[in-house]
Amino acid sequence: MSIQFLAQSSQSEWIESLSRDATLFFPALTKDQVHWQCLDPATPGKDDDAPWALGHIRAAEPVKSFFFTPREKVAEMPGKLEPAAPGKRVLFGAKACDIVALRVHRKMYLEQEFKDEFYRGRRENTLIIVADCPVPEDSCFCNLVHGRPYATDDDRDEGDVALSVVEGGWLLEPLSDAGDKLVALARTTPATEAQLAAREASRQTAAKRLAETNPKQFAPDTPARIWKRVQDDAFWSRHAADCVECYGCLMACPTCYCFLLYDKAKDQGMERTKVWDACYIAAYARVGGGANPRAEFVKRFYNRFFCKFSHFPTWQKMPACSGCGRCYKVCMGKIDIRKVLAEV
Amino acid sequence: MGNIFQPISAEIIKTIDETPNIRTFVLRPEQEVPFLAGQFIELTMPGYGEAPFTPSSSHFKRDIIEMTIMKVGRATGALFDFKVGDTVGIRGPYGARYPLEKFEGRDIYIVGGGVGLAPLRALFLALTHEIDKYGRIFLRYGARTPDDIVYKYLIPEWEKMKKVDIDLSVDVRDERWMKKVGVVTCLMDEIPCDEAKSIAVVCGPPIMMKFVTMKLLEAGFKGEHIYLSMETNMSCGLGHCGHCKLGPYFTCKDGPVLTWDQVKDIPDPFV
Repeated sequence: MSIQFLAQSSQSEWIESLSRDATLFFPALTKDQVHWQCLDPATPGKDDDAPWALGHIRAAEPVKSFFFTPREKVAEMPGKLEPAAPGKRVLFGAKACDIVALRVHRKMYLEQEFKDEFYRGRRENTLIIVADCPVPEDSCFCNLVHGRPYATDDDRDEGDVALSVVEGGWLLEPLSDAGDKLVALARTTPATEAQLAAREASRQTAAKRLAETNPKQFAPDTPARIWKRVQDDAFWSRHAADCVECYGCLMACPTCYCFLLYDKAKDQGMERTKVWDACYIAAYARVGGGANPRAEFVKRFYNRFFCKFSHFPTWQKMPACSGCGRCYKVCMGKIDIRKVLAEV
Repeated sequence: MGNIFQPISAEIIKTIDETPNIRTFVLRPEQEVPFLAGQFIELTMPGYGEAPFTPSSSHFKRDIIEMTIMKVGRATGALFDFKVGDTVGIRGPYGARYPLEKFEGRDIYIVGGGVGLAPLRALFLALTHEIDKYGRIFLRYGARTPDDIVYKYLIPEWEKMKKVDIDLSVDVRDERWMKKVGVVTCLMDEIPCDEAKSIAVVCGPPIMMKFVTMKLLEAGFKGEHIYLSMETNMSCGLGHCGHCKLGPYFTCKDGPVLTWDQVKDIPDPFV
């Protein structure tokens, strides 16, 4: 299907049709931050106060929260727990950096020998409409990790529709087969040359802004440079000096995939819970006997950079970073990945 | 594939006290767990947690799994209170097996320390089950004291097996001990096999692994032929959770057995 134009007047109708059989989440502007919010058709008017924030940067919450939930019961004894059948969902207004993050998680949870059926169920039952990011902020650096502020055909593995805000409405570009069906539900007309040109101009403005904010690409041999500095504690300590070990960067990170399984006694057996974990936590790598290869914080700080920008790129041919800038935004010490990698 | 986090049940059908703080648990899982020597199992102590252990029984025996476990932490401490007839949980097998096809026709030099003999026993039993495929099997094992030796009741039988050569040492002897005294490397001054062609397999405390590896390299073993059981925090067993990262490896997926060539560039791999 070609790129379609959906006039403002028909948008509510389309959203209504999308949310008829699925729970729809949209980015809402609350104070000065974007947060995912659930559109609840049962309580019309509930969300009227929260303006849709399609033209802003990504939501504060990492998109992984929808699929790899912060806390989840995953096993029990006696008995056997199977993943519950997930409901259908639409994420309306994710960003291209969210798509990159989901790609990292797909590689971790669905493309290894063992597949996470909890993740798969949620992911396969969620359709994603990716809105352009027309005004990247100074914290954004998707252009340094091979990303763009908008989705293209290359993103069809994780995105279903690319949405661009243009004068008088939205341009909708189906990316996946499911996206074709979504767009088919809308009362659209083929996009005009002028509308396509406007979309392109807006996208190039955003890309230019990113290039101005982040003019220098990371060195192509960054993975090797990081590995070479594995024992350069002085370098990593200097950059870690302002870290207060709050783990906020790792909790806000949409690509961080680490989790902890812990059991608690229940009746005559146990209940197993899976929670997000962070490699900055002191006990993260500690073994049962008490030895800890990363007892010092500087080793844990290094591990984060090694994982995201050395090991993952070497292994999976992409950094485990979407350039979303959440880590910098939440950091109390204002530690900037860009600065560290520029000096590595 | 179902829920990868859900264990199956296994009944403890027997326990054997190996030493004051090491016990062998013989388990009968509700369904077969087709592990191969070198792979590990995630054992659930219901209500107390889950921890990885490499089976110590032969992988040719499918209906039961034996695990020889040292009491070191919260979960293993709780496990020692479990009795015959109690139920535990099992997930797995996980990790990479020993590449036995690469061992064929070669002498195998096995070095174990303390409870590290447990996973090596699974390998030893796999090798001796098809002994004609391999060269000679040398087992060098060290423990702190004679009382700390695991499988005391099995070693005399093993010594009688064809093509098997066993030597033992203890750090501290008692009045009955007639063999060598010293750390396990004291058994390695003379290595009676062709080092350049032989396979070495090592498992034990990290410090012991470090010095045994140095000794093996000094003796002429090739780094690609030295197989080491790396100790990391293997948590999920699936290569998903990140805890067991050792340099570029997830030891739960790529290991836990890695060759010296794989780990030699990692700073302090034996922490």
